[in-house]
This record gives sequence, structure tokens and C-alpha cells, in this order.
Amino acid sequence: EDVAVISFSKATSREAARKRRRVESDVFGDLSRLLPLQPSIRTHLDKPSVIRLTLSYIQFDIYMYLRTLEGFLMVLSTEGDMIFLSDNVTKYMGLTQTELMGHNIFEYTHPCDHEEIRHNLRLTAEQVWCGEKRDFVIRIKSALTHRGRSANLKSATWKVLHCQGRVKVCMSPSSISCLLLTCRPLPLSHTLLSTHTFTSQHSMDMKFTYCDQRLISLLGYTPEELVGRSLYDFCHTLDYNCLSKNHLNLCLKSQSVSGQYRMLVRGGGYVWVESHSAVIPSVKSSRSRPITHQPLCILSVTYVLRCVSSAFLRESHCRDLKLPRFSKSITDF
Amino acid sequence: MQAAGARRSCGGASGEPVGGDCALSSAFPPLLLSVLIAPHSATFVHVSAPSHSCCVFFPPPWRGKKKTKTRRPYSTWRLLSNLCYHHKHCLGVSRPPHPCIVVPGPSAPAPAPAMSARNAAAGGGDRAGGEPAEDVLVEEKQSSSVSLSSLMTPSSVAGMSLSMEMPRKRKGSIDNQDSKSVSILDADMDDDQNGSDGDDQHVKIKCFREPHSQIEKRRRDKMNNLIDKLSAMIPTCNPMSRKLDKLTVLRMAVQHLKSLKGSGSSFSEANYKPSFLPDEELKHLVLKAADGFLFVVGCDRGKIVFVSESVTKILNYSRAELIGQSLFDYIHPKDMGKVKEQLSASELYPRERLIDAKTGLQVQADLPVGASRLCPGARRSFFCRMKYNKISVKVEEKESQGNTSKKKESQKYCTVHCTGYMRSWPTSQMGADGEGEGDKQDSSHFSCLVAMGRVHSHSSPQVNGEVRVKPTEFVTRYAMDGKFTFVDQRATTILGYLPQELLGTSCYEYFHQDDLPHLADRHRKVLRSKEKIETNCYKFKTKYGSFVTLQSQWFSFVNPWTKEVEYIVSTNTVISHDHSRTGRSGNKSEQSSNAKASEDCKKSLPIIPGISTTPGAMIYAGSIGTQIANELLDFNRMNSSPSSGNVSPFSLPQDKSPHTHNPISNNVPNGETSDMEIPGKSSSEDEPQGAAFSGGESLMGENSQLDLDSVVGPGLSSLSNDEAAMAVIMSLLETDTNLGEAVDFEEMHWSL
Repeated sequence: EDVAVISFSKATSREAARKRRRVESDVFGDLSRLLPLQPSIRTHLDKPSVIRLTLSYIQFDIYMYLRTLEGFLMVLSTEGDMIFLSDNVTKYMGLTQTELMGHNIFEYTHPCDHEEIRHNLRLTAEQVWCGEKRDFVIRIKSALTHRGRSANLKSATWKVLHCQGRVKVCMSPSSISCLLLTCRPLPLSHTLLSTHTFTSQHSMDMKFTYCDQRLISLLGYTPEELVGRSLYDFCHTLDYNCLSKNHLNLCLKSQSVSGQYRMLVRGGGYVWVESHSAVIPSVKSSRSRPITHQPLCILSVTYVLRCVSSAFLRESHCRDLKLPRFSKSITDF
Repeated sequence: MQAAGARRSCGGASGEPVGGDCALSSAFPPLLLSVLIAPHSATFVHVSAPSHSCCVFFPPPWRGKKKTKTRRPYSTWRLLSNLCYHHKHCLGVSRPPHPCIVVPGPSAPAPAPAMSARNAAAGGGDRAGGEPAEDVLVEEKQSSSVSLSSLMTPSSVAGMSLSMEMPRKRKGSIDNQDSKSVSILDADMDDDQNGSDGDDQHVKIKCFREPHSQIEKRRRDKMNNLIDKLSAMIPTCNPMSRKLDKLTVLRMAVQHLKSLKGSGSSFSEANYKPSFLPDEELKHLVLKAADGFLFVVGCDRGKIVFVSESVTKILNYSRAELIGQSLFDYIHPKDMGKVKEQLSASELYPRERLIDAKTGLQVQADLPVGASRLCPGARRSFFCRMKYNKISVKVEEKESQGNTSKKKESQKYCTVHCTGYMRSWPTSQMGADGEGEGDKQDSSHFSCLVAMGRVHSHSSPQVNGEVRVKPTEFVTRYAMDGKFTFVDQRATTILGYLPQELLGTSCYEYFHQDDLPHLADRHRKVLRSKEKIETNCYKFKTKYGSFVTLQSQWFSFVNPWTKEVEYIVSTNTVISHDHSRTGRSGNKSEQSSNAKASEDCKKSLPIIPGISTTPGAMIYAGSIGTQIANELLDFNRMNSSPSSGNVSPFSLPQDKSPHTHNPISNNVPNGETSDMEIPGKSSSEDEPQGAAFSGGESLMGENSQLDLDSVVGPGLSSLSNDEAAMAVIMSLLETDTNLGEAVDFEEMHWSL
């Protein structure tokens, strides 16, 4: 009896193994079909080479490019038509590539940003020739819900995108000039804070209201020294342009990337930094009347691009901070 | 104790070839089988929870064939090895296993009570009190399976059959589970469909109800428009001047696309992912748009595994030069630590924090310890300086001068913004590349950073900024009251003062008395103007008591939020160096006119407030600036509504404040003269800025330096001020700050 059971189960196990192999080879077949290869080559591939090729394909495929970009690619015609969008646009806007391509960007962007977009689309022959660069911030409709699902466009929210890129001549049938842009959301939420970044909070006029302890090791200031002072007191005069653009973007669009500017080090001298900032709305008043709801503060993550030697900073602590400013209190007599 | 025994026997089982189903089952007393089943059923209740140090995962064949008994040998074997793995980890970790593992007991086959695996093991042990010890069990298993089965006790047989039936008994719940997941999938698909439906809805997004015919007409027009565009793009359509019907155009389009694809070599017809652009081209576009290069760097030694071709354009190194090298050889020595920190996958740095942009709070990572860094997909974003290859320059030098000593000249670096993510590959697969096997880690995974290195357009401003300023120029910055808040280092060579000597003092202390009225006037002007104000030539007292003649260009920087003057920037040009107190050599005409002007002004000196009342008395010059600043503040206070102290962009347009006398300026002040350009900002870049903000400025109302009417966006011009202000608030609120967990705007149901 036992022997019979065993032989039966042996037979079934053989059968099972066969099925398993079949499933496996089916998977390999699927895999090889996914590879961008000529069918003739594809049929001659053995399993290891399928794996090998799949690996190299996965490793360096286009998704890797788009993923490292943390955003999507957009090609805009001079009229604002979205000639091309990479298909990962869905992840950021909740709308698919096919839904969006061929539409005009003005239909999807905030009315207040239209003039800026239009300005960036205006191209002269010279700009096309030089491949001029573009760098601006826009608000675009996003059908994504908080849980990452696509929702109806009617309930679309505005998403801030940082568009960077350049002017390019498209080689398609008729050579037209267009804007080649990478659009990325502000990476604030998943910024991995390293030892070379510090966070700060500012009131809407850029006065420090909070500052990270790490500032001591980076720029030499203690948080107490900064709180209440304007960021502008600590910036290089020649960078005012970059800073005012940043500030305006924050006031109007609630998020911004500053670009590189110089910040005063406590002991003297400047270091190059870059800030990524967002306006944090105050949460409390959201239940009261919305009209009283005002942005609470600006949150900045600042990357220190060049470090100051710690010895220098230590030395600088011996001196007192001398940052004269015309304070309002003088005049408020 | 029991658990330890189970682990041992399992170890044996996984190590041995398993003869047959019965033999295997018989080798295990019910207690073990119940434990064996436990992770299995756990698979179906999805115990891949984070608290588990391991996830019990079963290969698809098991799930697919769960109805047939024939899968058992294979799957049982799987099960065993998994169990071992499972146990090893469960027992290695001090905390109890996930409580949701469902363990059926012989006494209560279904519904199974929820117990921890270890409890189950203990419980099973109680039941199987009469069983031989585990050591014996292992030995028995190693001998013939037939004899083993004959040795089985009745209780173990009962236990076995029970366990065997487990899959079937649980089938209902399994199917439930499966169907549930299927339904989730369905829901997802539905969502997608909704998303595509949204396309049409967006057209109506801002419209009120319209007559149907109108909507239809618009749709038709749009369609025709698209067809027209299409026909314009297709070469075969062009020669025929008469308009083609839709169908023909579409057919031709199909034909055209086919021909295009036929010519493309990389195209394969069965390509799973049809895309509008070939991947290669898309990659190229991405790199081009990003102005960057892709690189893959091993985490352990920083070896460059891959770098895209575009690196040549950015760092001037060829791809072949870099691949296989250590990334650290190409990084600024001072940035080494920074990069190492980003690459280190092994440790959880105490400083690592994530930030929640909506609340501004720093979130302590609640990921399992160590996992956040290690886990593939962890994002990275950092800046570092990378070497720029200057070889071409050196070659030229060699050719022209035959001089190699210049090799030591300073290395040039590019500031590269790296964004990317961590990723790991099994080393066995990496071995195919023939490299990197040497660095096998204990985890046998090769983890690396995949990142895009971007060089921003404004990345090399320091070169422009400092080189372009002429040596006879220096920049200073004053607070509203004329006190120095910033002094360019070049000032020292011209004026003799160290920056810290000047900081905090009023510029009026250094002006020649003759020039005071003129400069005070200009000061007053610059505070109320958005334009650059040129001063006449004036004399500035150096440290040595002599005077240097300067001419300055002033402009005020206004805080975009408060609309208050933050500071005054002054670009000072040296006209002549004069060591005699009174002598005026160069620029005769200028000087004389200046002198006349100042003489004129001398008479009108009493105009200066604060001085006027006390003629003849020696007045502290610094107070002039304070006076002027206060004057402006008082003026603002009087002119604007009570809220002037804290003007926000939300405040509605008030009567035009001080700047009405400057309506011409149409741009944001460009700030700099032609020979002193702001780094990285060409004038053309300023323009969009000015224009862009105009829409917003119009909402903000007062103090706008822009001529709003000319540039107000069409979207807003039709709105009333209230609506416009509301729109700004709305946009601020609605803007998704890119957070995972959000403060819910959903809570605020307020209609527009």
C-alpha cells in the first residue's frame, strides 16, 4: 500500500516538475520578448543570456534615467503645445502621456504663471542657436490625490514644478525650435538631510524664526544669533537677484529653488549655498474661516556647497557678531 | 526549546534531498508540520509586515497549484527551506514573530486561531508529548523513508493528514484573499480609466453649463484642427494642395509612421512598451535637457560602474577614462566626506532625517533600523564638486611654449548636483560584467548609487561675478539709513579701511561736507525708486585722511513680501585718487560742475531735515541717514493704510504709494551695469521674471515696480481684485507641497 502511494506521488511529482519547467520557460519567453531585440536574435538566446541581457537592460534603461531625474521630460513647442512628454508624467500629474500630449500647456497651468511661460517660450534665432537655458517654476494641474491615485481633473490641485532645460531645434520632419525641459517637483519631502545641509524656517519676509543646530558647524552661527534677523543680512550683495526671484516665487507659488548664492560665514567670507524652500501653510486656521488662513512660514533646506574649515569656525566664535542693520525699533519712537 | 529543535531538524531537511512526499511528512511530527504550515498560511494572510525580519514568500507554483496534491513534494521542500530561513530569523531576533501567523491545530482545524509561530510550536509540542526527541527524528529521516513511515505513530499520522488537508480547508479564505487582491487591481484599473475620462472633463473644468451644440462644435473644431496639423506634418499630404478628408489623412499617417519605423534600426515590432520615441533618443533628450550625465557608483569603494557618454561635455573626461575608476579620485578633497556619507549604505547616521514639508517638522525615520539606508530606492540628493579635465588646455600650452611646469595650476571643479537613488543587485549577476566580484559583501548584494549629475546653468557664477568687476570698482551695501552692512574686499585697497571698520558706520561720516546735500537727495530718491540712481562725483574720505573721488550707482532692494527696503546696493567707481585734501585734477568739467552743484546745494543745505533748524552747529553726519530713513517710514505710514507695517501680498491695492513718480520702469531692476553682471543671470533671464511676477504683483497691489497694465496675465485681468486675491490664496493653499502625508486640504471645503 505504501509503495503504491509512493509511486503515485512520484508520478505526480514528475508531472509537477514538468509543469514547473514549462512555466519557467514561458517566463523566459516573456522576458526575452520584453527585450528590445530583433526577433531573430531573440529566438537564439539561451536562458542565462536572457537574464544577462535583461539585467543590463534594466540597469541602464530609460527608466533609470527618468528616475534619477526625479521628474519627467517635456518638450514644448513655441506655441506651448506639449509635443512630447515622457510617460512617467503620470506619476507627477496623474494624467497619462497620451492624455496630455498635443495639448497646450496653458490649459494645465496656473493662470498667474502664463505670462512667465509665454516669456520663456519666446525665442529669438540667436537663442535657438546658442541653445539658451531656461529655469523657471510653474504650477501645473495635478490629478493625483494624497494617496497617489489619479483623481478627476475637476478636483485637480496645483503642483509646483521646477522646469529646467534649454532651447533646442527638433530634428523632426520640419525643423522647429522647441524647449526641452525637465520638470521636477521640489525634492523637499524626501530630502535626505546630510551633514552638509541645514534647515531653517523664516517668516514670510525671510527673517529667521528657527534654525537647525547644524548651522554652528557649517557657518559658525548659533541659532540664537540668526533668529529675528533677515536672511538678506547674511547674503552677498551681488546675489540679490537670485534671492529676490526666489522670494517672489515663494510668495506667489509657494515653492522655490534658489539657485546658488553666497552666505556670510560668521568669521568672515562667504560660502556658496543653495536653498530649496516651501511655504508651509498654517494648519490650525484651516478649520476657521479660510480667508484668515495665511502662510505660516517658509521652510528652507539649505545645502552648503563648499565647506568652511572647522578650525576657522571655532576661531570665529571668539569674535562677536557684528551685523549692523537699520532696525525698525529706532524709528518707532 | 521546542523551537530550537525545530530549527535543527529543518536544517537537516533543507540540506538533504527529499525522497518523497510521504517520507517527508512522516519525518515530522504534527508539531512540526503545524509550524511548517504556519508560514505557508501566513503567506496568504500577507505577513510581509515590516516587523518581520524576513518575509516568507512562496514561489508562484505553490499558489497556482494549490488545489492539486501533486505540488506537494516541491512545495513542501520549498516550505521547509523557507521555514528554516524563517525560524533562523525569528529566533535570532528577540522580539516575537508577527502575531498574525495562522496556525491550525489538530483540535481546531478551522477557523484557525491566531497565534505566534513560536506559541504554536510550543502548543504543538504539548500535543506531541509522546513523540521521540528531535535529535532522533533527524536521524530517522536520514534513513530509509519507507521504514520511517512504518514507524510512524498513529498520532503523527493523524497530524500529518490534518496538515495535508490544510491547504484545502483554507482554500476558501485563500480564494477570498486572491479575489480581494484581484478586486484591488480592478479598482486600480478603474482609477486609470477615470483618469483618462478626466481628459474630456478638463475642457469643461472652468466652464459653466453650455448648450450641447456648442460643446459639440468645439469638439469638432478641435478635431479638425488636429487633423490639419497632422496633414501638415505628413510629407505625402503636402503636394496635394486640396484638402483631404479625415480618413485619408489618417491612413497616410499610418503609412508614414510605418515607414518611419521601418527605417529606424532599433525598432522591434513586438516591443512591449510602445513609445513615441526610441529609448536611445529619449535618453539622449533626458541628458540634454538635464544638462547632466548618468552615473552608477558602487557604494563600498566608490567605483564608477557606469557613466553616460554625456559626461564628456560636462567634465571633459571620456567615458572610458572614468569607468572602473574610483569616484573619489574625481571629487574635491573637501567633499569626500560628504559623498562618502551619501554612499554609505551600512550605517544609519544619527543625523539622517526626513522632512515633512507640509508641517515643517523633521520626521524621524520609522523605517526598521538600518533599512532606510540600505533599502533600494532610498533617494539621494547632494552637491559635490567634481574635477574638470583641463587636458586640452595643457596640450595647447605645451605646443606653444613647451612648458610643462604649469601642470600644477589650480584644478578646476564643477559643482554638480547629484540626484538619484540607491539600488542593489545580486553579486552573482553583477559578475557577468567581469568586474566588481572582488568586493563581495556578506549580503552578496552589490549596492550602488544611480544618480544624475547635473550642472546648473548658474553653477559657475563666481568666475563671472568676480572677474568682470573692474579693479577700480567696489560694491557696498547700506541699510536704509546709510549704514554700511556690506563692504567689498576691494574697498580696502581703494579706501584703506578694512570691511569691519566700515560696517555699522554711516556712509555720511565719510562723505565730504560739500557733497552731503546732493547725496542725501539721492539717498532719498533711491529709497522711493525702483530704478538705479546715479550720483554725481563725490568725495569719500579714506583712512589716511585724503579724499577719493567716486561715482556711484545706487538701487534699493525691496523685500518682496513686506515691500520694505531691505538695503541699498551701491556700485562705486573710482574716478580719481586724490591725495591732497582739496586738489581736483582729473575730470575738470565734471568736477567743476559738481563743485557748482555742491555750492548750490550749500545754500540749500537747510533743506535737510534735522540740520535745518540748527545751522552752524556741528551735526553728527550719521544722523542724516537715519533722518532720511525715518522720513520714508513716516511717509509710508501716512500714505498706506494702518496695515503698512506688515504688508502682505494679500492686501488689496491701495493708493499708489511713493513710487508713482516712476511709472516708466517696466522691469525688475536689472541691478547691474553692463560691466558688472550678476553671475549666471543674463538680462534676458530677468525679463521673464519681471513679466511673470507681474500677474502676482497686480494682486499684491502696492509698490509694484512694474508697469502692471501692460503685462497683466489674461487670466486675471478679468477678475476683480477680490477674486484675484482669492486666487492667490487658493493657489497657496492648493499647491501640493509634495508631501507624502498631507495636511488635508480636503478638510477645507470651501467653494470658490
